[in-house]
Amino acid sequence: MIVSNNPQATEQNNQEQTHFGFKTVDKTQKVNMVKDVFQSVAAKYDIMNDLMSMGIHRLWKRYTIDCSGVRAGHKVLDLAGGTGDLTAKFSRIVGESGQVVLADINDAMLKVGRDKLRDLGVVGNVDYVQANAEELPFPDNTFDIITIAFGLRNVTDKDKALASMYRVLKPGGRLLVLEFSKPTNELLNKAYDAYSFHLLPKIGQLVANDADSYQYLAESIRMHPEQEVLKSMMEAVGFEQTTYQNLTGGIVALHRGFKF
Amino acid sequence: MPFAQLVSSGLERALNKLLQLDPDSAAKLRKLKGRNLQVRVRELPWPLIFHFSDEISLGVVVSEGSESARPDCLIELNLETLPLLQDSSQLSALIQQQKLILIGDIYVAQSFSNLIKELDIDWEEQLAKVTNDVFAHQTFHSAKSVMLQSQDFIQQSREIWAERLTKEGAVGINQQTLDQFSEDVVKLRSATDRLAARLAILEKAHKA
Repeated sequence: MIVSNNPQATEQNNQEQTHFGFKTVDKTQKVNMVKDVFQSVAAKYDIMNDLMSMGIHRLWKRYTIDCSGVRAGHKVLDLAGGTGDLTAKFSRIVGESGQVVLADINDAMLKVGRDKLRDLGVVGNVDYVQANAEELPFPDNTFDIITIAFGLRNVTDKDKALASMYRVLKPGGRLLVLEFSKPTNELLNKAYDAYSFHLLPKIGQLVANDADSYQYLAESIRMHPEQEVLKSMMEAVGFEQTTYQNLTGGIVALHRGFKF
Repeated sequence: MPFAQLVSSGLERALNKLLQLDPDSAAKLRKLKGRNLQVRVRELPWPLIFHFSDEISLGVVVSEGSESARPDCLIELNLETLPLLQDSSQLSALIQQQKLILIGDIYVAQSFSNLIKELDIDWEEQLAKVTNDVFAHQTFHSAKSVMLQSQDFIQQSREIWAERLTKEGAVGINQQTLDQFSEDVVKLRSATDRLAARLAILEKAHKA
């Protein structure tokens, strides 16, 4: 196992390889490995999220929606939308004149999301698209808002994905990236590490009967670019007025960038 | 933890739960579908925005001045003004007194106010769903009697206190009491005179 603390460096040093948690794997392999992880956790994704975050992930997502400036008639892309938490809310706000596209690379997650949203009565203005964030199958300047919540760290080529998002965003539109990040307090960082690497896989084993996937989750969080790095990555592909807000001591950060 | 989102989440859940309990609310809510209402209570740090669809989505206005801050209707007021909104005839007066700022379509605010005011929830039926009909009926019957008795008691107390506080209290004493007092004084004087005479006799006898 090769451990790298700088995911960008890993990607830059070897264009054919990337990280999968703490492992370094071929880029072509990562897509399938991530797919396997989410195929495995899809059915219990919501319950595990609630357990792991003690329900706080719902507040982080609400904060994301509050920061999105969404209103009736908007066209929203909920990328890596998984089980559709953000889509459900967006769909109600954009109304009949708007549209929400729930996109995920993983068909199992998409199916769970679609069933859940239909059960909730969220129909009519929601489309479901199986799509790779790196090559979004939409025309240029399509969406007013793009969100990607807890999805970017699983993307193989993040720069390519950010550029793709920039392309499909309308001028004046905004991208919101909600993702695990680096806690700002050293003590919290240590406690969070202990929780992630010791408790999290055990909860995963107990509830979803899948310790490996949750071990990957913890590792992928550590390998994800920290706040300032992600901000620079967004700026590099063209986003402007890029800012981020640490949530719950930096365990999660919400990055926001505009296309003008 | 995003505290504002915690509060808005709790409020949203409570509002939607209440609306679900009233079968007529869906039709009233339909009138507001696609509209939004921003409420700025001056004592609260964050304005709230209500989005109406098949249910109410409640958000916090994070970035002032952005597009999200352009609602169909905006209400700004103090907490103390909130109960006064129940009387719609007072709206103009409140606006003139600058206790209420209302920008946009007043219909949205009025419809929302009516939606909440006219909520008609059969609590007995709701309790029956989790217990049974007999228990729910008896509980509500008892609760109603206790409430009626309490209301009677409050009404009676109010009347008693109103009487005590408004009726003139007697400052002087009446004639009968004065006559009785005088008679008692005369009796006491006679008794002390008799005692004094007896003491004088005893004193004389002792000296002799």
